[in-house]
Amino acid sequence: MSASLRDSIPQIANPGNLDASVQEAFALMLGCECRRIAASRFNAEDSLIAVVGFGGILSGACVIRSSVPSAIRMTALITGMEIAALDATVQDALGEICNVIAGSWKSRIPELAAHCALSVPAVISGNEYWIRVHPPESKLHHMYQFDESTFEVMIVCEGLR
Amino acid sequence: MKQIRALIMDDSSVMRKIVERTLRQAGVELECVLEAANGHEGLDLLERHPVDLILSDVNMPSMDGLEFLRQLRGRNLAPQTPVVMITTEGSEEQVRQAVQAGAQGYIRKPFTVEQIKQRIVPLVSTG
Repeated sequence: MSASLRDSIPQIANPGNLDASVQEAFALMLGCECRRIAASRFNAEDSLIAVVGFGGILSGACVIRSSVPSAIRMTALITGMEIAALDATVQDALGEICNVIAGSWKSRIPELAAHCALSVPAVISGNEYWIRVHPPESKLHHMYQFDESTFEVMIVCEGLR
Repeated sequence: MKQIRALIMDDSSVMRKIVERTLRQAGVELECVLEAANGHEGLDLLERHPVDLILSDVNMPSMDGLEFLRQLRGRNLAPQTPVVMITTEGSEEQVRQAVQAGAQGYIRKPFTVEQIKQRIVPLVSTG
C-alpha cells in the first residue's frame, strides 16, 4: 500500500466530489438533473435508507436517505416503469443508486480508487432505526433535489489509515 | 448486426434491466436475454444455454464476478464468448485482475450508451 490516506483528506472532505458523483448518477441513470439545496434537515414520515460500506484503507459508508415517494419517483425514472408503492424494486433501485454514487465518489480520489472496496448495498425501511458509528473523522452531509423531490446523502469516514 | 443471446449478471434486478435497455439503445439486437444474480446462477445457466455475450458485475454476493470468470475459464465453459465486466469498482488493479481472469472489457457504472457502443458492439459485430 502506498501513501497514507491522510494525504487525501482534502479530497475526501471536498463537497464538490460528492456533488459531482450524485449529479453524474442522476444524469446517466435517471436522465434528470439533480442539484444540492441548502436545507439542513430531512423530514419524512416514512423513509428508505440505502447504505454501502467502505472497507480497506477507509472505514465508513455512503448513506442515502429518501422519503418513500421520492424513492418511488427515482425508481420510476430509472426503470421507465410506473411504480405504485414501495416494493422490492424500489429498494433495489435505491440500493443501486447508492452503490453507483459510492463507487463514483471513491473513484475521484486516487488512493481510494486503488485501495478501498465497496460492500453490497443494504436497504432499511421505516423510521425506527439507528445507524451507530464511531465518531467520524470526516463527514459530508448534503441535501439534493430532483424534480420536486428531495433526499439526503452522507459520506461518513470513521477510520482513515 | 446479427441477433445475439446475452447473459446479464448483477445482484440488482434494476441494474440488469438498465444494462439490457442500454444494449438495445446502443443498437445491439437481442434475440434473448438471460439474467443471473450471482456467479453460481450464471454458471448454472451457461451449462444449459449457449450465449454470445456475457456482461457481469464484479461485486455480487455468493459468487462475485471475478470468481465467476475464473470458474468459467477453468471449466472451459463458453470459451469463445466475450465477457465484459460492468461495475462500480474501477481501479487499475481490479481491471488487471479481470483481464487476467479472462475479461475482454471493463465498463464503470454509471455508463453511457456511447461507452456501450464503443466497447461492446465491436465484440458482437463479428461472425
